[in-house]
Amino acid sequence: MNFRKNKSLFLFLLPGLILYTIFFIVPTVNALIYSFTDWDGISPEFNVVGIENYVQLVTNDSIFLKAFVNNIKFMLFVLIFQTLFSLIFAMFLIKNTKTNIFLRALYFFPTILSSVSVAFIWTFIYDPNMGMLNSVLSTLNLDFLQQNWLGNENIAIYSIAVTQVWFHTGQMLIIFVAGLQAIPKDLYEVADMEGAGRWSRFRFVTWPMIAPSATIVMAYTTIQSFKAFDLIFAMTRGGPNYSTEILATLIYSTAFRSFEFGYASAQSVLFMIVIAVITVIQFRLLRASRVQE
Amino acid sequence: MIRKLACVSTFALGALLAGCVGGTGGNSSSENGEEGTISFIHWRGEDKAVFDELISKFEEENPSINVDMTIYPSEQYQSTAQTTLRDGSTGDVFTSFPGSQLEIINKAGLFEDLSDEAFIDQYEPQLIESGQADGKQLAVPLQLVFNQPVYNKGIFEELGLEPATNWEDFLALCETLKEAGYTPIAFPGSDIGPGQFMNPMMMNNAPNEDVFDQLMAGEASLTDDWWVETLAQFKELNDKGYLNKDALGTNHSAAISQVASEEAAMLATGSHAMASIKEMNPEIELGLLAPITTTEEEAKWEGIHTTTFMLAVNANSEKKEAAKKFVAFLSETENAEQYANETSQHVTVKDVEYDSEELTSTSEWIDRNTRFQPRFLIPNADVEKAVISSIQSVLGGKSPEEAAKEAQQIVEQNL
Repeated sequence: MNFRKNKSLFLFLLPGLILYTIFFIVPTVNALIYSFTDWDGISPEFNVVGIENYVQLVTNDSIFLKAFVNNIKFMLFVLIFQTLFSLIFAMFLIKNTKTNIFLRALYFFPTILSSVSVAFIWTFIYDPNMGMLNSVLSTLNLDFLQQNWLGNENIAIYSIAVTQVWFHTGQMLIIFVAGLQAIPKDLYEVADMEGAGRWSRFRFVTWPMIAPSATIVMAYTTIQSFKAFDLIFAMTRGGPNYSTEILATLIYSTAFRSFEFGYASAQSVLFMIVIAVITVIQFRLLRASRVQE
Repeated sequence: MIRKLACVSTFALGALLAGCVGGTGGNSSSENGEEGTISFIHWRGEDKAVFDELISKFEEENPSINVDMTIYPSEQYQSTAQTTLRDGSTGDVFTSFPGSQLEIINKAGLFEDLSDEAFIDQYEPQLIESGQADGKQLAVPLQLVFNQPVYNKGIFEELGLEPATNWEDFLALCETLKEAGYTPIAFPGSDIGPGQFMNPMMMNNAPNEDVFDQLMAGEASLTDDWWVETLAQFKELNDKGYLNKDALGTNHSAAISQVASEEAAMLATGSHAMASIKEMNPEIELGLLAPITTTEEEAKWEGIHTTTFMLAVNANSEKKEAAKKFVAFLSETENAEQYANETSQHVTVKDVEYDSEELTSTSEWIDRNTRFQPRFLIPNADVEKAVISSIQSVLGGKSPEEAAKEAQQIVEQNL
C-alpha cells in the first residue's frame, strides 16, 4: 500500500496519535523538563537546577537505592514464580475441555478484582493475630512457621510478591494457553519419532515455540512488578522501615507527600530508563531461544 | 503553553494517582454546579452523619446556599487536596492538617485570610495558633485531640493502678497488667502507631519544642541522647512484651478491637480513637494518660495535644462570602457543641458543654500542661518518615543506635 498516494489513510491514525500525545508524550516530556527544576508542584514559580536532582539521586539518596533494590527483589520473585506457575497451569489446562475452561476462568478471576480489594483480602489473610494464614498453620501444628507476614521487614516484600503472583498468574496463563495451542501437533509427532522424552519435547519443541508468548509474559510481568504501586500502597505503604518501598511508591511519596515534584520527576525519568533497560535485555535474551520465524 | 500543558499533565497525574490510592470521594449532599452551591471537602468519614445534620440545618437557615460535602480518605486528602483547590471550583470550604500541609497550602496562596472575621472570637485564642502563619489567621482548627494513650479505667481500677508519673512506675504498671493476663499496650505499628506514640514518648526526652527545627538546621541529631533514648524505651516496651504481639503487623482497627474487647488495657494512639472503642463496647470506661519517660522531677510535659481539622476558605473561591458563612455557622457554640458531642471530639470553640462521659472525663486535659504534637513540627515529609521508620526499625530488632544512625543519614540527605 502506498501511503503517499493514500494520504487520507493517515487520518485514521490521528485519534490514537492525539490521545497518545496528550496522555503519554506531553506528560513524559514535562516530567523530563521538570526533572531539571526544583518545582514543588503547587507554586507558580520554580528554579532551574540543572542536573542537581540527578546528582542527588545517584550520589546521596539512600532511600532511592533501597527502593530500587526492593523493586529488583520483588520483580525477580514475581517474574520467576508467576511465569513458572502460569506456564505449568497452562500446560495442564491446554485442552479445551469443560473442566479446563472452568479452571482457566477460575484462575483468571483474581485479575478482574480491583487491586485495593486484593490488598484488603490479603492483608486480612496475613494478619498476624487473626489472619487466615497463621490460623491454618496453627491448625496444622505448624506454629513454628507462623510469621508477622507484613510486619517483618525481612519478609514483607516477598509476602506482597506472593499476593502479586496470585493476582496475575491467571492472566499470564491465558497468554501461555494461546501460545501452546498454536504449536503444530506434527512437531510433537516428529519429536516422538525421534524418541524424545518429556523434557526434550519441552526443551526443543514447546519452549522455542512459545518463546514469543514467554517474551510477552515476562516483559509484561516485569513492567507490572515495577508498577505494583496500588497493591503495596494499600498493604504496607512502603513500611515497615522502607522494607516494601519500591520506586513507584517512593515517587508518589516524593511528589505528593514531600511536594518535591522536580525531584520526583527526576526519579520518574530514572525509573523509566530502568524499566526500558531491563525490558530490552529480556527481549534480547528471549530472542535467542526463539524459533526463527 | 508549557505551563498550561504542565497543569493539564499534573492534574492528570494527580487524578490518576488519586484513583490508585483507592476510595473515591465520598458523598454528596446536593448536586454539583447549582447556583449558590459551595463545596466543602474534608477527610473525616466518621463525621459524615453529624455534618449531614449540620449542613441541613445550615441550608434551612440559608436557603440560597447549598453545601456539597465530599469526603476523601485522609491519606488521599493529604496528598491531593492542594491540587484540588487550585482552580477554586472545589473546596470553597476546606480543611487542612497543621504543620507541613498548612505551610504548603499557604505557600501556594490558597488560604483566604480570616483574621478579621467575627467568628474568630468564638475560639479559644491559644488553641487556634496552629492555624496562623505570617501574622494571619489562615484557618481555624475545630478539633482538639490528645495524642496519647487511651486506657481502660475499669481494668486499672480492678488492679488498683493509677497512671504513672515516671518511667519506672510506667514499666511496673505494664508488668502488673501483663501478669494479670492483659496486653498492656495495643500498638498499631503497621499504620499510625509509631507516628502517634512517638509524641508522648519523646516529649520529655526532648522537652525543647524547637527540637525538630534544630534537627533541620543541623544543630541537633537523631543520634543524640533524646532520640536514641526514646528508641531504647520503645525497644524496652517491646522486648518486655508490653506491646501486643506482632505489633508491626497490627493496624489501628485491630488495635482498637483489642482495647474494646478488653484484651488490651491501653491504646497507643489518641483521644480520636475513643469514639470507635465506645461504639464497639459502650460499657467501657476510658481515660487518657501519657507515659512519662523520665523521672517525675525531670518531666516538663504532661501530655500531647493537637489542634487540627482546620476550617479554611479557598482564596480562589468565587463564593467566599457563602463559604465564610458556613465556617461561621460551624463556629457557633451550639453547632460546635453538637459536633463535639456526636463525634466524641473536643473542640476549640469557647463555652462548649460536653455531655458524653468520655469527653467530660478527659476535659481536664484541656487545662493540663500539654505540648503541641511534635511530629507535626517536622517540616520535611522525608524526615518525618525517617523518624517514624526508625521506630519500626527498633521494633524489628535493630539497636536504637543503629536505627537512629540510619534515620540521621536520611535527615542529612534532606538538609
